[in-house]
Amino acid sequence: MSRPLDDPDDRRLVADLDRLRSARPVDAFDTPAEVDATFRTQRRIAVGYFVVFLLVTLAVPALTLVLEWWSQGRLAGGMSPYFVMAAAGLYVFFFVLALAAATLSSAVEDRMLGGPDWPADEPEDTANPSDARRSRDSRR
Amino acid sequence: MRSGGGVLAGAIAGLWLAVYLVTQVLTSPALDAGWTILAGTALSALLIVGYPSPLRGPRRGRAMSTSRRGETPSTIAMMGRSIPLRSGLTAEAAERTVRLLRPLLGGDATAITDRERVLAFVGPGADHHRRGSPIMTSATQRVLDGARTVVVRDLGPDGCPQPGCPLKTAVIAPLAISERVVGTLKVYRVDESTPSREFVEGMAAILSLNLELAELDRERQLAADAKLDALRAQINPHFLFNTLNTIASKARTDPDEARQLLLRLSDFFRYSIRQHGHFADFGQEYFFVRTYLSLEQARYGDRLRVRYDVDPQVLGVQVPVLTIQPIVENAVKHGLADTVGGGTVVLRARVDPLSRVTMIQVRDDGVGIEPSLLEQIRRGEGGGEDGGIGLRNISERLTTLFGERFRMDVRSRPSEGTTVDLRIPLR
Amino acid sequence: MSSAALVTLAAMLVLAGLVARFARPRNASTLDFYLAGQRVGIVTNACAICGDYFSAASFLGVAAAVYASGLDGVWYATGFAAGFVPVLLFVAAPLRRFGEFSIPDFLGRRLESEGVRLVAVGVVQLVILSYLVPQAVGSGLTWELLVGARIGGLSPYASGVLVSTVVITAVVVLGGMRGTTWTQAVQFLLLLAVLLWLTALVLGSGFSYPRAVESISAEPLETPVVVDGEWRLDAPASLLNPDEPMRFDEPGARYGRLGQFALVITLVLGTAGLPHVMNRYFTSPSGTATRMTTVWVLGLAGLFYALAVLLGTAARAIVPGAVANRPWLEALTIDGVLRVPEHALLALGRIYGGSTGLGLIATGALVAVMSTIAGLLLAAAASWGHDVYERHINPRATQRQAVRAGRTAVILVSGLSAAGALGLQPESLAAEFPSIIATMVTWAFALAGSALTPVFILTIWWRRTTAAGACAGMAVGACTSVAMFAAGLTIGSTASDDLGSLLLTPTLLAAPLALLVTVAVSRWTRAPAHVERSWLLMHGTARDREAERLARLTIRGVSREGTR
Repeated sequence: MSRPLDDPDDRRLVADLDRLRSARPVDAFDTPAEVDATFRTQRRIAVGYFVVFLLVTLAVPALTLVLEWWSQGRLAGGMSPYFVMAAAGLYVFFFVLALAAATLSSAVEDRMLGGPDWPADEPEDTANPSDARRSRDSRR
Repeated sequence: MRSGGGVLAGAIAGLWLAVYLVTQVLTSPALDAGWTILAGTALSALLIVGYPSPLRGPRRGRAMSTSRRGETPSTIAMMGRSIPLRSGLTAEAAERTVRLLRPLLGGDATAITDRERVLAFVGPGADHHRRGSPIMTSATQRVLDGARTVVVRDLGPDGCPQPGCPLKTAVIAPLAISERVVGTLKVYRVDESTPSREFVEGMAAILSLNLELAELDRERQLAADAKLDALRAQINPHFLFNTLNTIASKARTDPDEARQLLLRLSDFFRYSIRQHGHFADFGQEYFFVRTYLSLEQARYGDRLRVRYDVDPQVLGVQVPVLTIQPIVENAVKHGLADTVGGGTVVLRARVDPLSRVTMIQVRDDGVGIEPSLLEQIRRGEGGGEDGGIGLRNISERLTTLFGERFRMDVRSRPSEGTTVDLRIPLR
Repeated sequence: MSSAALVTLAAMLVLAGLVARFARPRNASTLDFYLAGQRVGIVTNACAICGDYFSAASFLGVAAAVYASGLDGVWYATGFAAGFVPVLLFVAAPLRRFGEFSIPDFLGRRLESEGVRLVAVGVVQLVILSYLVPQAVGSGLTWELLVGARIGGLSPYASGVLVSTVVITAVVVLGGMRGTTWTQAVQFLLLLAVLLWLTALVLGSGFSYPRAVESISAEPLETPVVVDGEWRLDAPASLLNPDEPMRFDEPGARYGRLGQFALVITLVLGTAGLPHVMNRYFTSPSGTATRMTTVWVLGLAGLFYALAVLLGTAARAIVPGAVANRPWLEALTIDGVLRVPEHALLALGRIYGGSTGLGLIATGALVAVMSTIAGLLLAAAASWGHDVYERHINPRATQRQAVRAGRTAVILVSGLSAAGALGLQPESLAAEFPSIIATMVTWAFALAGSALTPVFILTIWWRRTTAAGACAGMAVGACTSVAMFAAGLTIGSTASDDLGSLLLTPTLLAAPLALLVTVAVSRWTRAPAHVERSWLLMHGTARDREAERLARLTIRGVSREGTR
């Protein structure tokens, strides 16, 4: 099968990933209701951030139409606020927005899917399910 | 406790009006329209960002915090810090009280003792009347035994055994919690005159009242703890029995699913055992609820449908532990279990920091509650049904945690389902 | 063109090749992605995506657009970078989790329809083609300046197009250019290094960015035009304010009120539909890692474009003063203004670094072109070989046959792109579209954003999307944008106002239309049967968690063995 990646190293990488991911998740699993809840929450986040992104991005050109200072004013050194924003400020904004959105999305997924990582202070005995998991996996 | 959306809209409208007035009407000549828009937009953005939108949520990577053993609500603790002895008769509180009261009581030295030893001493003679030293004067013993105020005009021989002690006279008043003497308040002078007896007695009475309140707090806390423990111990045997049955029957047909269910069941028990404090992150309680519901779903199959509607930022909010799951369990057990076609349980959680409220709603479209029974539940009687007891237990626990600052509404109509609305203050 | 520049160019290319070949981290395996907080894998991957993404349009084109149109040109860079925000918000993680690796693959399996797969292949090929043409134009322009040689009586431009196409196609077909993660990452780092080097030189020579902006904005922005076969400078009126001339730091040099927004929307929505970029996402180990990769891409892209904008401004400010004692520069300019804006970076490189500098910039341009073309050709080959040939023409194809089909596709597609580049005479279009490369790349973005992105986002976020709806949406989006675009080209010269720019950046209309059509048709048809299963895959994290756990256990096992 010809995949976009044609290199032996990449192919090995992808094969490794496939192997890791194709192991049918038994111990880790999500119920449809949980996934649906996460999906809804993620959708709220994505739409919310997208609206902010669009408003700020479009506000930069839009402000020239209503505010003369935006394109005529001079900040320190001689650039107009519009130029500063378009040439550098927006990139910073995109980065910060992306970082916030990515962190939030991942945090929400962490909390809404799967269980908590139980603290390790629990006495280990054979009836402990996490122990059972471990021994099962080591047999693989 | 209104929802904050309307408040926010009102705030934004007011803000734009103010910006318009300032930039267009009050300044003359009026500023460029762009300025109005820029200022209004910036301020609105600030307001909206301050308002919790779906854009903000829990911080990442906070581990399960399970070690909040025996914590007390922080508001009470704060009040205790400002009122003398409001948090009980401890050496620290006594020390603070003594320093606070000495100028008021007109004595040269002031001390507080409990029944055995000196808790705090300030003033001349503090070099040998140390904190923690045993009670030396027989007069104090008389007060502790007789529960009456004693005035000592000449401490002399039956006063302080230390030679050269400057203290001459004293008024010793008992500190009591409902007739039971727990300590004394002592005011000394180095000259011949005695401190005002009425004044010391009055102050001792006020302090006694505070001690009494502290005792009440502690009792209430104990009661709440006891209720929580009762709730933890009260894992429904039917639920366990049914779940184990389900797992047993799946073990043959679908071993993978049986294994998953077992893991979930173990998660379920582990959570209910490991939750120590009164509060937990909503995210953790949510985990508990969905663990429970996935087990019930395995049992009921397609008859039990579940929908969660959770705001991102509610996940990190602190909520009373083991509160939501019993409500959900009620919805499944009393609302849906007896219906033919089953039904849907909806858990909806929102947070509204403008009014600082967490809103949690559990809704089902099951059989509903008969009006008479509903009335009983609302009055907190609950009859003999365990559903009523579940709600009453929760309601009592919330009262001990929040006093009057929470709301739990139960709305129901027969054959149309039940809605439980919970609004608790944001901590 | 001096031999020094050629030597530099050759040396840099050899060096890049060597680095890519021998400096690659040895024994890099999947597990490394999970180690060290996944940081290394994420950054490498982000660099590779940048290597695929930054083409001649970004390297030469952005500086050229800034040079020619000032502030309005800056918006190309902004739009190119902004495109990754919707990718992050709507596409990256679910796409990765679903586990298919190309856009047609994804749509085909999610909507359970081979028809969707074929339609998507068609659109993807169109997008790839319209992305390839500007790259060929870019190499033609570079050749013109750098080598200038005619081959077989063709113009230098045509020679450049042909030579670059033949060479890159040969390299890709013979398997020399593999488009691996590491190679692409190295190529991007080379590009970034070249930009940083030039910026350092420019700033080191006492260039003040803000003051330069102020001084060049004081005078009207002049563009070279051909009148009666003669080049001369013209200072057209601002499109926003007809009484004023165009100025460098004011909007209106290129777009009217509407055009600006249309361009931004086009670029923002386009990136999510670019096949060669989306294909990269599947070397990410998990959905979370995919998100962080995109964040890194945004950071790197921001840095890259901020530098490109700075250099475009610097060229505007520095070139007029540098013409006096540089005959080679005088040949390229009219009264201190470059005739072809794409030469801006190259001229700047030669002013500051002499022949070596020119060679370095040319290397950068070539690397940008080559890495992007390689990525595009490989995406084309994959979609023909995998999605069409293996599945529909010859299901029992051997590996060799599939590879041969892919190679045929590569040759075909690159031939078409060369023809397209030759058909467009950039010097004739340059007057109408200053900075032709950046303009042409937006056409690919428009097509991707109109036809693919709306359908893509709906299939991820709306359960009811159906195969028929997706087909209709893609067809409508593609046809609308192509039709508007054709109309724009024919009447564009007469209407360089709002209507014209809207027609040339059709996403603003075509994307909502495609969205509406998809929704409407989907409502009429039945949703795929296994949508719940798809949802568990796309929006659930069970597989990620399981994979991560297994990886962690394996690592623990490996380290335990190591201590023994």
